[in-house]
Amino acid sequence: MKELFAQHIDVFLVVVYLLSIFAFGLLFKKFVENTEDYFLAGRALPWWVIGMSIIGTNIGAYDYIGAAGGAYRFGIAQANYEWLGAIPAMIISALVIVPYYWKNKVYTVPEFLGKRYKEGVRVIEAAIYGIFLVMLLGIFFWASGIMLHTYLGWSISMSIVITAIVVGVYTITGGLAAVAITDVVQLGIMFVGGFAVAAVGFIKAGGVGKFFEVLRAAHPQHLKIFLPLNNPAYPWLGMILGLGLVLSPAWWCANQSIIQRTLGARSEWDAKAGMMFAAFPKTLIPVLVVLPGFFALTFAPTGAIHNPDQALPWVVKSFLPPGLGGLVFVAFIAALHSSVDSTLNSAATLWTKDIYQKYIKKAASDKHYLLFGRILTFAFIIFGVIFAPFTDKFPGIYVAMQTLLSFFQGPTLATLLLGVLWWRSTGWGGLWGLVAGVASAVTLSIFRVNFLYVAWWSFVISLIINFIVSLATPSEPPEKLRGLVYKYLEKDSQFAEAVKRRLNG
Amino acid sequence: MGNFLRSIPLYWAKIIAGSLYALLAIWVITRPREYIYRGTPGKGKWRDLRIWAIILIGIQIFLYIIF
Repeated sequence: MKELFAQHIDVFLVVVYLLSIFAFGLLFKKFVENTEDYFLAGRALPWWVIGMSIIGTNIGAYDYIGAAGGAYRFGIAQANYEWLGAIPAMIISALVIVPYYWKNKVYTVPEFLGKRYKEGVRVIEAAIYGIFLVMLLGIFFWASGIMLHTYLGWSISMSIVITAIVVGVYTITGGLAAVAITDVVQLGIMFVGGFAVAAVGFIKAGGVGKFFEVLRAAHPQHLKIFLPLNNPAYPWLGMILGLGLVLSPAWWCANQSIIQRTLGARSEWDAKAGMMFAAFPKTLIPVLVVLPGFFALTFAPTGAIHNPDQALPWVVKSFLPPGLGGLVFVAFIAALHSSVDSTLNSAATLWTKDIYQKYIKKAASDKHYLLFGRILTFAFIIFGVIFAPFTDKFPGIYVAMQTLLSFFQGPTLATLLLGVLWWRSTGWGGLWGLVAGVASAVTLSIFRVNFLYVAWWSFVISLIINFIVSLATPSEPPEKLRGLVYKYLEKDSQFAEAVKRRLNG
Repeated sequence: MGNFLRSIPLYWAKIIAGSLYALLAIWVITRPREYIYRGTPGKGKWRDLRIWAIILIGIQIFLYIIF
């Protein structure tokens, strides 16, 4: 009887969440009149919405499960992904990179790279990120279907269709504004769920101090932030060089889903402050993802967990009291939805602005591109729903997509940093640096080098090739570079004129 | 090279991370005030993003000292 009651509460919470987020997202339909409204929320987002939306987008259900599993297996070193592997890069992105994007009034990161270097760089970047985002949708839809099926018993296909309708309708009608505002609500739910789990765990242990005392006594290595070089997953040097200096800046400075929110900021300050503000909730993410892993390690009976990724499901099903499990489950769904809506919107932006408007239909009206963006969003939803079951039949797809993207992280960062900081870097330098960096990443991966070191060396090789080719080719005229590189970031009047000229083609 | 790296005590990882955070803090503090406030409707002290960054870096250094 008690179990049945708990199950009803859980279903009730999920249904209330789905209906509320659907209705709330629809409210933003009336604000969309043109492509700027649809893709960039009319460039009217305030800093706090940007910040919360960035973190809502950043944390997906996969992160929850995988990170809790990582903490269960390796300990607090998992938190490096949220701390050293995020905070410094977010500060640098906010103060160095974001202002360049925002001031140039671009819609996408590849668009910025195309302006700075040449169209080849834009095409490569847009194609790889465009394909990656669309494939990701199928994986997200499948994960959502599995979660609803496992926890509530709904059929997988029905769960996928419900997710597609709820998230799809408000993303198609409300664009980035609806996505960003719903992300704020979803992040709030995630934190309420996460702190509730933390509270229950600490109460069961007899207090925060007591809990860490017990953990330290039983698993002393789990409270070490850096692990030795022979650790297979988190060697300290790889964490600092690969994660801290390359992968993390690449993610926070060049990932379209993340950056798009700052491009929709109402002012340059809001764009910078939004990224900076996001670093505060990011600091707290280990409470959501690492602590559940520790609770499973401390409280789960021997033999209850066979695979580290079962740590979080065990906490939700067997550790939390009835009702609270439902709340945490809603937090998972919210995390997943905030990633799905952002991925949909960013994929539509990339394909509309960097491919369709640039190469297929160049001089159509703004209404035409708005309609195309919405149709594309709808098409991606349909593709995601159809593609979702294949991600189960071919489990390597997710790993393959992540691997493919990781080949581009280091070279993209090298291209972006040299492009912004060094005026002498040329279009050919950028293109060959990018190509050589990706080729070196592929080669190193073939030799099974740890992906953290692959990121580092592909970044270094990309920098070197960009540097050499740039010096061997004629420099770009200052007019082309004004507002795009540090040296030519001149007084606002000159810069505004240069942007106007570029926007007019 | 591998032997040399393996011989480095683990606490050096913390020292390197701490040094990177300290360098970042110095860089942040030296950003011009005019650049930080550009585009803001008000000039309140709370809008100084250098202070936000220093708080964030301070929290990070604290966490890396504890763990």
